[in-house]
Amino acid sequence: MPATVAIGTKAVRGVEVRDDPAREPCFDIVHLHEDVPDSGGMDREHRRQRLHRDYNQEVQTIEIAALCLVDFPDAAWDLRMELARQCWDEARHAALIHQRLAASGGRKGQYAIANLDWSVVAMLDSMAARLAIQNRTFEAGSLDIEQVAMRLFREAGDPETAEVLDAIAADEIHHVRFANEWLTRLTTEEPRAVLKIATAIAWLKRVVAATGGDGLHEIPTDHEARKLAGFSEGEIGEVARLAQTVNGAIARGQDR
Amino acid sequence: MILSVKERGQFVATIRWVHVALMETLAAWVPTTPEMEVKLLFGEHVWDLAQHADALGKRTFELRMPLQHSLRPVDAYATLLDEIAAVRPTAQRLAAIYDVMLPAVDHRYRRYLDETDSLIDAPTVRILTRHFHDMERMRAAYARLRDELPELPREEPAWGAALRAREAAIGNPVAQPSPASAEA
Repeated sequence: MPATVAIGTKAVRGVEVRDDPAREPCFDIVHLHEDVPDSGGMDREHRRQRLHRDYNQEVQTIEIAALCLVDFPDAAWDLRMELARQCWDEARHAALIHQRLAASGGRKGQYAIANLDWSVVAMLDSMAARLAIQNRTFEAGSLDIEQVAMRLFREAGDPETAEVLDAIAADEIHHVRFANEWLTRLTTEEPRAVLKIATAIAWLKRVVAATGGDGLHEIPTDHEARKLAGFSEGEIGEVARLAQTVNGAIARGQDR
Repeated sequence: MILSVKERGQFVATIRWVHVALMETLAAWVPTTPEMEVKLLFGEHVWDLAQHADALGKRTFELRMPLQHSLRPVDAYATLLDEIAAVRPTAQRLAAIYDVMLPAVDHRYRRYLDETDSLIDAPTVRILTRHFHDMERMRAAYARLRDELPELPREEPAWGAALRAREAAIGNPVAQPSPASAEA
């Protein structure tokens, strides 16, 4: 009998998502982005909050890659190798972030956490959809975010954390790149995979709308990192245009 | 007596199956184990076990089998691995992998090395020898985690001992191929 992950589902604002992965009792698990502490700015407290969020984020990413290994035992061996390697990379990232959290006087369980990436991606029933949402969307987005975060940590007098984020970004580029390569192969070999991806993106929009997800803040697209990760010039331009459009719409909404 | 190409291929493909099963077991435990440090340990070792399976799977191709070929072991061994995969408490999960299965695989490797010809089968010997080092590192990482987190739950030694005895009692894990598959 193949290994399985017995985690059910939960409803968040009327949307059915995967229930939370196991966490220690020290963690207070919340279900909406707005309930995860984020005081803004870059003072010591905010930096701790950010590192605490990132720590849980890295752990979720291991959990998602590991779940792909369990749920798709018949996937190509070379792709499974990439996912297994990603498990190790994300484990190292989580350990590094935890070190920085401890160095800044923080501890695990200090703030509430949400496991929304897991809750969304673990609902998807195809490898192509998971790669498209987790690696090509969430992790590609983190490439853009990390460039900004590195600068902010340096300006806040914390070059050590900036270096850690830079090292993590280098690994993440490969996680996005292998997903891009495999999505091309999977959609070429099985055109129906495109439908699965489109359905997953529509599903993601529903969850973001329901949970008040981040959307796109004023984060510039990191052209160089996305190029290294295998995005074409056209795709990078499309992401930048989308960001401008969304940010413009947000700004117009705030003006009203 | 020298092990034949077929016998060597069957051992390598069977032990590859075991590594893939252990990799999938650790992967399944990552989201369902509460302790963050244990998740990270499992995440790291998913990659070690995948690399072992990969090296063994390349060797199967050199032994007249398909690339990355696996052979299901005898029922008793497959059942044991299924039962281990179903274990829930963290203490039992840790004991099953680090106190039972890794030493058991190490032991089976050594038995094989005693039987095989070190020149004829040198590529397999090299692979298994490299894995000794990895498995020692994996168990050392577990021991460090125990030192760092003394509060981590620990299973009764008798539980691990019983599992170890069951594994050892199985004998040769290689399933005898049916006449049809033997001809394939």
